[in-house]
Amino acid sequence: MENNLLEIKNLYVNAEDKEILKGINLNIKKGEIHVIMGPNGSGKTTTANAILNNPAYRKVSGEILLEGENINNLKTDEIARKGVFMSFQLPEEIPGVSVTNFLKYAKNKVTGEPVKIFKFKEELKKYMEQLNMNPKYMERSLNVGFSGGEKKKNEILQMLVLNPKLAILDETDSGLDVDAIKTVSKGIEMFKNENNAVLIITHNTKILNSLKVDYVHVLVNGQIVTTGTQELASKIEENGYSEFKQ
Amino acid sequence: MIKLNETPVRTARNFNINNIKLENIEIPEKFEFFQNANIFIESPKDEVSLCQNDTNLTYGLGEFFTNQVKEKANHFLTVNVNSKMKKLIMIDFEFDKNNLNLVENILINAKEGTKSTIVIKYKAEENLKCFHNGIIKVKAEKNSEINIVFANLLNIESNNFISIENELLDNAKVQWTIIDLGGKNSISNYYSNVLGKSANNELNAIYLGKENQIFDLNYIGELRGEKSNVNFEVQGALKDSSRKHFKGTIDFKRGSKKSKGNENEACMLLSNKARSLSLPMLLCSEEDVEGNHSTSSGKVGDKELFYIMSRGFDEKAAMKLMVRAKFNKILETIQIPELKNEILYEIDKRLD
Amino acid sequence: MKTKVEEINRNIYDIKNKDDYDFKIKKGLTREIIEEISAQKGDPDWMREIRLNALEVYNSLELPTWGPDLSELDMNEIATYVRPKSKLNSSWDDVPEDIKNTFDKLGIPDAEKNSLAGVGAQYDSEVVYHSIKEDLIKQGVIYTDMETAVREYPEIVKSHFMKCVPVNDHKFVALHAAVWSGGSFVYVPKGVKVDIPLQSYFRLNSPESGQFEHTLIIVDEGASLHFIEGCSAPKYNKVNLHAGCVELYVKDNAYLRYSTIENWSKNMLNLNTKKAIVGKNAGMDWVSGSFGSKISMLYPMSILNGEGAKTEFTGISFAGAGQNLDNGFKVVHNAKNTSSVVNAKSISKNGGKCTYRSLVRINENAKNSKCSVSCESLMLDDISISDTIPTADVRTDEVEFSHEAKIGKISDQAIFYLMSRGLSEEDAKAMIVRGFAYPISKEFPVEYAVEMNNLINLELEGAIG
Repeated sequence: MENNLLEIKNLYVNAEDKEILKGINLNIKKGEIHVIMGPNGSGKTTTANAILNNPAYRKVSGEILLEGENINNLKTDEIARKGVFMSFQLPEEIPGVSVTNFLKYAKNKVTGEPVKIFKFKEELKKYMEQLNMNPKYMERSLNVGFSGGEKKKNEILQMLVLNPKLAILDETDSGLDVDAIKTVSKGIEMFKNENNAVLIITHNTKILNSLKVDYVHVLVNGQIVTTGTQELASKIEENGYSEFKQ
Repeated sequence: MIKLNETPVRTARNFNINNIKLENIEIPEKFEFFQNANIFIESPKDEVSLCQNDTNLTYGLGEFFTNQVKEKANHFLTVNVNSKMKKLIMIDFEFDKNNLNLVENILINAKEGTKSTIVIKYKAEENLKCFHNGIIKVKAEKNSEINIVFANLLNIESNNFISIENELLDNAKVQWTIIDLGGKNSISNYYSNVLGKSANNELNAIYLGKENQIFDLNYIGELRGEKSNVNFEVQGALKDSSRKHFKGTIDFKRGSKKSKGNENEACMLLSNKARSLSLPMLLCSEEDVEGNHSTSSGKVGDKELFYIMSRGFDEKAAMKLMVRAKFNKILETIQIPELKNEILYEIDKRLD
Repeated sequence: MKTKVEEINRNIYDIKNKDDYDFKIKKGLTREIIEEISAQKGDPDWMREIRLNALEVYNSLELPTWGPDLSELDMNEIATYVRPKSKLNSSWDDVPEDIKNTFDKLGIPDAEKNSLAGVGAQYDSEVVYHSIKEDLIKQGVIYTDMETAVREYPEIVKSHFMKCVPVNDHKFVALHAAVWSGGSFVYVPKGVKVDIPLQSYFRLNSPESGQFEHTLIIVDEGASLHFIEGCSAPKYNKVNLHAGCVELYVKDNAYLRYSTIENWSKNMLNLNTKKAIVGKNAGMDWVSGSFGSKISMLYPMSILNGEGAKTEFTGISFAGAGQNLDNGFKVVHNAKNTSSVVNAKSISKNGGKCTYRSLVRINENAKNSKCSVSCESLMLDDISISDTIPTADVRTDEVEFSHEAKIGKISDQAIFYLMSRGLSEEDAKAMIVRGFAYPISKEFPVEYAVEMNNLINLELEGAIG
C-alpha cells in the first residue's frame, strides 16, 4: 500500500458541460511506467488535466489520491508542489520570461529551498547538452518562437530540473521526428528511478520502443476498456483501436 | 459649411479626423418622387412594400442628413424577409436626368430563422450631378442570416451620403459588402449594434478614389452579447488627388465576454498627391475578449510590380492587376456573377 | 480569480514631509501672481515678458474637447510656486535633513554614486541639488538647473526656450510658460559622447500645489546622451498639478535617449508636454514607464526634420483604481528616409483606464519613410477599460506605414501552465505581467528596471489576491 503513488477511483470529469471521463480507475505505484493510449477525443488529455485540477475541467465524482491523500480540490500549484509534473501537449508561450529565470523560480517554489544560481546553471547546462538543446535557449523567452520539437524538449528539461514524484507526459511524442523522440525517451530514462513514476499519454507507440513499460491502458470514450503490458501496445500499432470500440 | 460623421470618441482636434467639414456642397431643396427604383424579388414569401419608417439613429451622419431623410425622403421601402431559403432581393436605383436626387429610407426586417441576399445598387449616367442621401436599417432577428451588397457605382460628379444601422439578436449573421466607388464626396456611416449572443457581423468594403474624390468612412461595431464576432475588412486604393478618412471603431461593451473583434484596413497609394487618414479604434470595457486591428498605407511594392512586369505587363496594367488582386478577396463575397462583373467593369473603368 | 480593490501602501513614495516652505505663492492665476513669481525668481525682463504673454495665451485657450475630464482642476485652488527651505547645493551634506532623507529613501544619492554621470534633484518648485562629474565639465558638457541657465547662458536659452514647443500648443503649455520653475538644462558639445546617464528627479511635496519644471536639452552635432527623468509625490486628498515641459534638440548625427519613470501620486493631474526636434541622421529614443497620476495626458513628440532621422518610442502605462492614463506618442515625418518605430503597452486593473492615443503624420516631402506601430493592451479584470485611438495621416505614396494593435487578457491556459510548475496563481499572473512589461523594462538601466518591476509588483499586490 505504501508504494501507491497515484490512485484514481471511479473518476467522472466534464469539460464545458460535456461528459468526457466516465468512471476511470488507475493505480500507479512508485517505480512504474504506465501508458494510456486511445484514439483522439477519448479523454486522454482530460485525464492529465484533471489530475492537475485545471479549472477548465470539472470533476463530477470520484477521487484522486496522491500517496493516499485526496488531491481533488487542491490548486494546481499545490499539486505541483506535492510532486506532480505534467508535460503539456501544447506548451504555453510566456513572452518576456527567460527559461532560466522561470525554472529558477519554479524550482524554488517546488523545493521550498533557495536555489544556488551557479550550481543551478551548471545543472541546466548539463541537462540541455544531454537533450541536444542549444544552450542559447536558456536566455530566450519561455517557449516563444520555439519549434514544436524544441518546446517538447523544453518540457522534458523542466521535468528533469523539477524532479517530480510523478511525471505525466501528455502527447510529448506527437509531431516529433525520430531523433527527437529518441531524445525524449532518453530524458525519461534519465529521470526514472524506483522512487518515482511516469504516466505516458500517447496515441502512437514509437516512444514505447526504447522504454520498459509496466502497464498499457486503453482509453476509449472516457473509460479504460482494457489494460495489458507492452504487447498490447504492439497489437494496437498493428490493428488500431477498432476492436475496442463498440 | 457642414460638419458631419463624428467618431464615437473624440481625439485631438488638430488631428483633423473627429468629423469631416464639407464646403460648397450643393444640396437640393425639393425632392420629387424617385421613379427609377427597380425591385426584383425572387421568393414570393418575401415582401417589399412602399412605406415610411422611423429614422432614429444611434450615430448616423449628423442631424442635418438624418432630418432630411425624416422630412424629405422621396423613396421608402420596407423589406420583410420571410423565406428560409436563401433567396435574392434586388433594389436598383438608376439616376437619370429626371431622377437626379434620391433621399431614401429602407428598413430590412430579417425574421427569425430566415436567410436572404439583398443587393442595393446606385448607378448614374456619366456627367449627371446626382445627390444621394439614405438611411438603411437592418433588424436581424434570432438565427437569421442576411447578406447585403451595397454598391455605390455613382459617377464622381455626384454626392453620396449614407447611414447604415444594424441590430443583431442571438445567433444572427449579418454580412455587408460595401463597394464604394462614386461620389465627389462619399460619406458613409455604418453602425452595428451586436446585442445578441453568438451573433456575427461582417463588413467587407472596397473604396477606390480618383481625381478629387473624398471618402469619409465611419464604421462602428459595438459588441454587447457573449461570444459574438465583429469583423471589418477594408481594402482601398487612391489615385490622383483623392483622399480618404477611415474611421473604424470596435467597441467591446460590458457583457461581451468571449467575443472577438477584428479590424483591418489597407490603403494602396497610387499617386504622390493622394492622402490617407486613418483612425482604427479599439475600445474595451470587458475582460475576456480578443481584439485586433491593423492598418497599413503605402504604394504597390516595387518587387511585386517588377515581378508582374517581368511577365510582360506594362506598369499601368501591372498596377491594375495589383489593385484587383487586393480587391478580389472582398469581391469573392459577392456570389452573383452578373453583379460581380458589373462591379469589376466599373473598377477597371475607374482605374484607367 | 476575482480581484479586489484596495488602497495599497505605496511605501517610500508616500512618505510626506511637513509642508515647510520658505515661500509659497497664494493660490490662483492672475497677472499679479505671475509678476510676483517672476520677481521672486529674479527673472530678467525678457523672461518676465514670456510669462506675461503666456498668461494671456492661457486665458485665450480652451480646455481640450477630448480625452479625460479635467473639470475638477480649479486653478484658483493651486499654488503654482513653492520655494523649499533650501538653496541650490552641490553636496548632499548641505541639503536640509528632511529633504535629503526623502531623496535618500528614493535612492537618488546611491544611484548617483553607482551609475550616473550627473544628478539634479528638484523639491517642489526649486532644484535643491545639482552635480556633474568633473570629466564631463572638462569636455564642455553643461548640466545645471534651468534658473542658472537663464542667468548664465541667456542667448542659448532665448533661442531655444518655448521654441520647440510653442506657447500656444495647448492650454497647459501656456500655463507652464507663465509659471515655470526649476528643471534642468543640458548642453552636450559637438562630438562629445556622454556614456553614463544624467538624471533629474522631481519631487512634489507640497499639497494643493503644482510643479512646472522646464527641461531643455541640446545635443549638438555628433554628440550623444542618455537622460533619465524620475518623479514622485506623496498622496493628498486634493489634486496636485504637474505641467512640465521638455524641449529636446537633437542636432545632425546626434543621439538622445530620454527615459522616464513617472510615479506621481494618485491625486496628481499630469499634463506634461515633451517634444524633440531631430536633425539629419540623428536618433531620438523615448523610453517611458507611466505608473502614477490620477489623470495623465502625455504624448511625447518627435519631429523628424532631417533626412535619415530616426525615432523610437517604447512605453508602458499601468492604470489602477481611479486612474485615467491617456498616453501615447506623436511623430511627424518631415524629411526623406526618416523612420519611426512605436512599441506601446498598457495594463488596466481595478477599474483603471488606459488609453493609447497617437498621431503619425508622414508629410509630402518624407519620401521613402517608414513607420511601424505596435500596441498591446492587457485587461486584468472586467471593470477596467482599455482604449486605443491611433490616428495616421499619410500624405505621400512612397512610404511604408503599418499599425497593429491587440487587446486581451492573461490566458487561463498560461496561468494553468505556470501553476503546474508550482507557482501560485498570484505569482503566475505577476510573472506573466512582468514578462509583458519586459520589452520596456529591459530598455532601462538595470537599477531602474528593478524599480519598474517593484512598481509592477506593488501595483499587482493590490490587484491580485
